[in-house]
Amino acid sequence: MDLNPLDPTPRQWRSLEERAGLCDEQGEFPADACEAPRPGVSRRNFLQLMGASAALAATVACDRKGVPLVPYTRRPTEVVPGVSNLYASTFSEAGRAYPVLVRTREGRPIHVSGHDLGGKAPLRATADLLGLYDPDRLRGPLADGKAIAWDKAMERLGQECRSGKPLLLVTGASASPTRLHLLRELTQALPGLDLLVSEGLPKAPEDLRAWKPRLDQVQVMLSLGADFLTGDDPGLIEAYAKRREPGEAMLRLWVAEGPMSLTGANADHRLLLRPSRVAAFATALGAALREGPGAEPAPPEVDARLWKALVQELRAAGPRALVLCGAVLPEAAHRAVHALNRQLGTLGLVFEPEGKPSGLVPAQALVRLEAGHYGGVIFWGCNPLYASSEAGRWKKALARVPFRCWMGLREDETSAVCSLLLPEHHWLEAWGDHAAPGGHLALQQPVVGALYDTRQGEDVLLALLRGLGKASSPDYLTYLKERWRREVQVSGASVPFDRYFEAALHDGLVKVASPIHPPQSPDRSFPAPGPVPAGFELLLEPDRRVFDGRYGNNGWLQELPEPVSKTVWGNPLMLSLEDARRLSLEDGDLVRMDAGAEHLELPVCIQPGQTPGVLSLALGYGRAHGRVAKGVGFNAFPLLDPSGSGLRLGVELRRLGSRRELPRTQGHHRLAGRDILRIQEAGETAHGNHHAHELPSLYPPQVFGEQRWGMVVDLNRCVGCSTCVLACQSENNIPIVGPEQVARGREMHWLRIDRYYDGDPANPRAAHQPMMCQHCDHAPCENVCPVNATNHSPDGLNQMVYNRCVGTRYCANNCPYKVRRFNFLEFNNAKKEPELLAHNPEVTVRPRGVMEKCTFCIQRIQDARVRAKLEKRPLKDGDITPACVAACPAGAIVFGDLKDPHSRVVHLAEDPRGYKVLEELGVRPAITYLAALRNPLRGGKS
Amino acid sequence: MHGLDRALRFVLPLGILALLATVLLVGWFAQPDRYAQGLSVPQPIPYSHALHAGTLKIPCLHCHSGANRSRMAGVPAVSLCMNCHQVTRTDRPAIQRLAELQRTGQPLVWNRVHAMPDHVYFDHGPHVAAGVACQTCHGEVQTMSQVSLRMSMRMGNCLGCHRDPKAALPKDSPIRKGPEHCNACHR
Repeated sequence: MDLNPLDPTPRQWRSLEERAGLCDEQGEFPADACEAPRPGVSRRNFLQLMGASAALAATVACDRKGVPLVPYTRRPTEVVPGVSNLYASTFSEAGRAYPVLVRTREGRPIHVSGHDLGGKAPLRATADLLGLYDPDRLRGPLADGKAIAWDKAMERLGQECRSGKPLLLVTGASASPTRLHLLRELTQALPGLDLLVSEGLPKAPEDLRAWKPRLDQVQVMLSLGADFLTGDDPGLIEAYAKRREPGEAMLRLWVAEGPMSLTGANADHRLLLRPSRVAAFATALGAALREGPGAEPAPPEVDARLWKALVQELRAAGPRALVLCGAVLPEAAHRAVHALNRQLGTLGLVFEPEGKPSGLVPAQALVRLEAGHYGGVIFWGCNPLYASSEAGRWKKALARVPFRCWMGLREDETSAVCSLLLPEHHWLEAWGDHAAPGGHLALQQPVVGALYDTRQGEDVLLALLRGLGKASSPDYLTYLKERWRREVQVSGASVPFDRYFEAALHDGLVKVASPIHPPQSPDRSFPAPGPVPAGFELLLEPDRRVFDGRYGNNGWLQELPEPVSKTVWGNPLMLSLEDARRLSLEDGDLVRMDAGAEHLELPVCIQPGQTPGVLSLALGYGRAHGRVAKGVGFNAFPLLDPSGSGLRLGVELRRLGSRRELPRTQGHHRLAGRDILRIQEAGETAHGNHHAHELPSLYPPQVFGEQRWGMVVDLNRCVGCSTCVLACQSENNIPIVGPEQVARGREMHWLRIDRYYDGDPANPRAAHQPMMCQHCDHAPCENVCPVNATNHSPDGLNQMVYNRCVGTRYCANNCPYKVRRFNFLEFNNAKKEPELLAHNPEVTVRPRGVMEKCTFCIQRIQDARVRAKLEKRPLKDGDITPACVAACPAGAIVFGDLKDPHSRVVHLAEDPRGYKVLEELGVRPAITYLAALRNPLRGGKS
Repeated sequence: MHGLDRALRFVLPLGILALLATVLLVGWFAQPDRYAQGLSVPQPIPYSHALHAGTLKIPCLHCHSGANRSRMAGVPAVSLCMNCHQVTRTDRPAIQRLAELQRTGQPLVWNRVHAMPDHVYFDHGPHVAAGVACQTCHGEVQTMSQVSLRMSMRMGNCLGCHRDPKAALPKDSPIRKGPEHCNACHR
């Protein structure tokens, strides 16, 4: 009996059009490749195109005359010009902290990556480097729109605080104990001060939020709408990849969800379940586990055989089973899933509470604001006038407050209604400490001096305290050190504090584990979900790229394809194939969506695998401020349910008749119907895994020198999170091209993640494959280059020489993998001062008319090689980590020397799952892929 | 004389000559400075390598301390000059200017003599480690009171040495060849 309900159609497809055999999407060769961009000045001009004049200037710039040579006047001891330094620091976001490593060159940060002790860096930590150099950052304090000096600004703030009127301080969530301490001191010093933590995204109930998944003992996992593989928590991806190693103990992932999430794409069994039915599903599952299979009938939407199998699986696994609930789902779903986990006695959850300042709840604060209770409001690092379901109420209530002050990085919806604007440091310029996972305390240290006339928010509050005579520390660093001396270093330790602190700064984190016992809270009863109104269900989730909109001004994130739908620059409304057919909608058709009193007009995107009757939309778009963010996508915050969950019921949809093109990378570079991505079932012998017969070649074999670089990509570990794509972009100075250019297939990512579906489009199986230059031994691109700008190096690299390239694009046309990228326009030289500083000085910035592609991070190879030479030792395996390898939380990419018989890459390439993409062409790629594994139940085994 | 005949006899050769002269002249004057052997640029401070490196025999790496550990040899910071000139020759106007810069923190802007184009990633480290003397590329700097370009900074000069480095290396060096593939210098 085959329990796998998936359609066994072997053919893979990348878009619905491709599956239907239609080719209305652009084919292999993009249209109007030589056309200039449309006339008219767009907002995002700065990302684009300066045209021929800049190109001409750039070619001359190679040989500028009279370049000055400016040494340091006093050289900092740790800086050697030309050598990069690494500093441990901490990235924090909405109350979660991630230890990271920041690479700086001559004192400016150029790359953010993970940390040996603290784990890999999340996607947005790497991307937020661009936030430091954002030209939209506020460069000095403003009062009523006019620049003023900090002294004057602080005087005004101090006056307001001392006036005795009640004040409200609204902050973003933070896990910093020292900041918490400072806020406590401030509330003691100012009795009229109320604190409010404002984070507008829907979240799990507070008492359940502290339970974090831990996968090392989990055998069966059921995700009820929990998209835990998005890369928000790289540690979780790492743990998941580890538990997916082939073998008897391989974890099995069941997913029941409404929209098609990245986690759903990785599932062994995926069920379609409306989000409103999650609570009922979990309760039914609990009853079935108690009563035994068969006693409880399957919920109507679930196949009876699958239901029985799921119940049996969970019963058999017992405490080794784990059920996760989507964070944005209503409270009833969370309670039901928690009860189910307690019933199973799961070992897969640990208790890790998040620190938070005690303060008001938003509802109370709003009522008081509306009553005119407060004489002043201070916003600090939050944006409730955008990122909140009550943004409209906030705006009205604020009109009654005479003094409105704002501290933040760049002007936003909230700063627009404030009179005193105090610019804050970026996190790479500021001090701090954060409670990190695993009982660690992570230190955040500035890696660059303040670029502008800004101050750290904590320093501003500390200055207020000093003004009240309640603090003595001259700055926040001293304040932090004093608290660490008092509270963090174990009293009576033999190490002097300064050395202890130095060591903590070096490592970036210290262990401060005090065992925390989970509270014995009984299962709370929760209201049974009421009747579901007719109409669509709309699920609103934070976007994995721009989060709650705070990274909207980041072009890297805007242009990173969403891993499943492959859309960029915006948030189309995702809907199912069946609903699209019913309403005769196509990709890009505009619809009017009505949810209660709110409505939106936006384009739709048809998503295979979406549950019929379920719509999904990402939060965080449709910002009104920021030169990149403004006008991209649609603001979905007003649609949030007033109860705080991300599920909205009774949504109406109406076709409008007009269209808007969706920029997406899905159909570009299609690889027509060949055996590109292999998926096997676990335990099955690699029968389909034939190695293509090695074809005889007319070309002489490559002669290699000491090394031959190669790579192994384990598709079973890759979950498709795209962190590598972003790390590659940051490391290799890859430009942002903007939505119009992406729509023409001109995206520049050297490394892309291809997503393939197979099977029934109503619930297809999906898998991801990172695709970059394969560094073929017999590279087809090399033979056709008329100027020999691309050729082979003795260490097996397909080298691309920009200064030789004349832009014929023959190579790109002849590349079977479609990984070469052409600079159709001047994408890079239009950039100006602050953005330029984000460039990696070890990589050439390519001008218009030049071809480029993955180099295996040649700059890192050369650096490691030279370092080995200087240390008079041979290169070791593991000396070289390209940016994608360093970034991958799953450890799916391994790089090394194919000539070294002891290297990891050789060992892995011999795996029976190994294959080369398009091996039959005889191009002999240097990258070996290991087939993805799925672990579905098979008849008889269960 | 027939008009066409005159055109063929005089105007055409003169025209060709003028065109050739224009191309050569533009080419000559537009060529980058780094090709010009003997190029010497006035510097803000009359620093003499002949005195410091020649007479006083200060090793190159004392001031250009990046040469054996970085891509860039580096120009010494003003503070390094002032290690000695705190007490030495403090009566000279140039030294007084240095002291002033040290005090105010203002930068000292030198004029570059050895320039590389942006697409070349030359690395001093392995060359110094292999025992290639600084003079091989930079000339007998210890005799120059003002530094001038002794080797034209062309790819041909790099490759010439990489193909046959014997003359530039110490006698007992095991190195027979330098890398010649593109990625060695371009990325």
